[in-house]
Amino acid sequence: MWWKSASVILLVYAIIAGLVVPLKPGIDHVTPDSAATGKRFDLEVHGYNTWYTRGKSTDIRAWLQYDSLRAIAGTDIRVLSDTTLQVSFDIPSTLPNEGESAMLNLIVSHPTDGVSLLPSAVEVELDTAHTSSAANWTDHPIENLHVVRDFSYPYRNVIYETIRNTYFHVPMWFALMFMFLTSVIYSIRYLNHPNEADDRRAVAFTETGLLFGLLGLTTGMLWAHYAWGKAWSNDIKQLMTAVALLVYAAYFILRASFDEPEKGARLGAVYNIFAFASLVPLLYIVPRLFASLHPGATGNPAFGSQDLDNTMRLVFYPSIIGFVLLGVWIAQIRFRILRLQQIADDQD
Amino acid sequence: MHTNFANQFLTLLRKEFVIEFRQRYAISGIVLYVVSMVFVVYASSIKVGPKEWNVFFWLIVLFAGINAVVKSFVQESGSRQLYYYQLVEPSVLISAKIVYNTLLLMALTVLAYGAYGMVAGNPVKDPLLFMLVLFLASLGFSIAFTFLSSIAAKASNSATLMAILSFPVILPILLTLLRLSSVSLRLIQDTAYRKDIVNLVAIDVILIALAYILFPFIWRD
Repeated sequence: MWWKSASVILLVYAIIAGLVVPLKPGIDHVTPDSAATGKRFDLEVHGYNTWYTRGKSTDIRAWLQYDSLRAIAGTDIRVLSDTTLQVSFDIPSTLPNEGESAMLNLIVSHPTDGVSLLPSAVEVELDTAHTSSAANWTDHPIENLHVVRDFSYPYRNVIYETIRNTYFHVPMWFALMFMFLTSVIYSIRYLNHPNEADDRRAVAFTETGLLFGLLGLTTGMLWAHYAWGKAWSNDIKQLMTAVALLVYAAYFILRASFDEPEKGARLGAVYNIFAFASLVPLLYIVPRLFASLHPGATGNPAFGSQDLDNTMRLVFYPSIIGFVLLGVWIAQIRFRILRLQQIADDQD
Repeated sequence: MHTNFANQFLTLLRKEFVIEFRQRYAISGIVLYVVSMVFVVYASSIKVGPKEWNVFFWLIVLFAGINAVVKSFVQESGSRQLYYYQLVEPSVLISAKIVYNTLLLMALTVLAYGAYGMVAGNPVKDPLLFMLVLFLASLGFSIAFTFLSSIAAKASNSATLMAILSFPVILPILLTLLRLSSVSLRLIQDTAYRKDIVNLVAIDVILIALAYILFPFIWRD
């Protein structure tokens, strides 16, 4: 069947592109990470996946930015290696805010690498002893950034290379929702016109959905191990997913509790619809009540549009379709096994 | 048809009260269950701060609620079910059960509140909100447990089944209740708690709608 080939092609593409395409150049860390007002200081920038030696070093620009209006431009930029830059900054004698210190973001614009940003790179502390600096916060607005278009994934702090898991962890949940939804549709069909085939399809799709749930939980725990420090941190979405899997585990216990298969199928179908309806509050309402480590503001389960750039979309969407088709394929095989088991049982 | 529904509904509701009154051991059992649980919980936790009070209280209400509601279908014999099947609409039967169980759970939660408040103190700072939470709890638990007990009653292992079917499904309601209850105890500051109330009511509406649609497929054997 064409869609089975499509699933294989899309998944092979997602796996190869997902693992091979490099990250955009980024800034790993800077030394030192603090400075005082009214002084000139040298900042050493350590890049990741960068090729600082390419292109003219005079074209490289750097800023320490407070907000969209206030920034100071770096001067005297020296390329030490492909991954090391040295930049000097003249810090004004006042702070952009009224406080004792200010956190500044570092922005580096390179002719071939493009723009990279390190949030909260340098903390500037107010030094009242030095008030002679002529520099001003509004003298050098950020402009003429180098725009480089290439096929690479965003460099993000905290997650770094694990951003690739987006193509495997997130599609699991799409596939899970698709499997459970299909299963519910077959359950509704079964209740309207009871027949063994629809019941078996509902079971096959629920089993496959449960499989994707376990895989989603596993890939999520692997990701959490690297991004959050530990595999299980009782994040509200982790908890609610575990509970959702319990809801579906109960479905199989319920079906097995009846001696007459027809009764089990009918009550299983009823419970399946009920379980799917309870999945919505579990995955979409409850996580909004609590803080979550997942992306999206304060437990918002939506996958933010800012979390995906156009390159990622080119891998992310095919991966979703690939996993959904794979799920349908698995469910079809499960359905056939269940039917053969039934035929074998009938012959005994 | 309209008066027919009201008549059938009121008759069934009255029947629930009459049965409860005649089989007083069942309701006394639940009351005793609540009181003993309150004492066991209190005795096993030496000192109960407002935070622990909140959690323990809702666990008491949860377990008492499941045990109070599970009998609503289990206790009725197959022949009586057949009798209802000939007389009334399924939607009337499930609504009568839900309303009766809501009233029963309201009485039980107030009893649990009184008993637990007596031994462990009463940290509730906003009684009005807390009473509203108790009502929403009774309503939500009643809908979910009544519906699930009608499924569980069909199986032989109904007590186990009732627990594994209801605990995961009730969790969103329970967590929202815990949060609202924390607000009424002033454990957390949340000015947007009305949104939680709306969420709870929304969940209740979904569950009621499902119970109405699905119950006709459960009750006939």
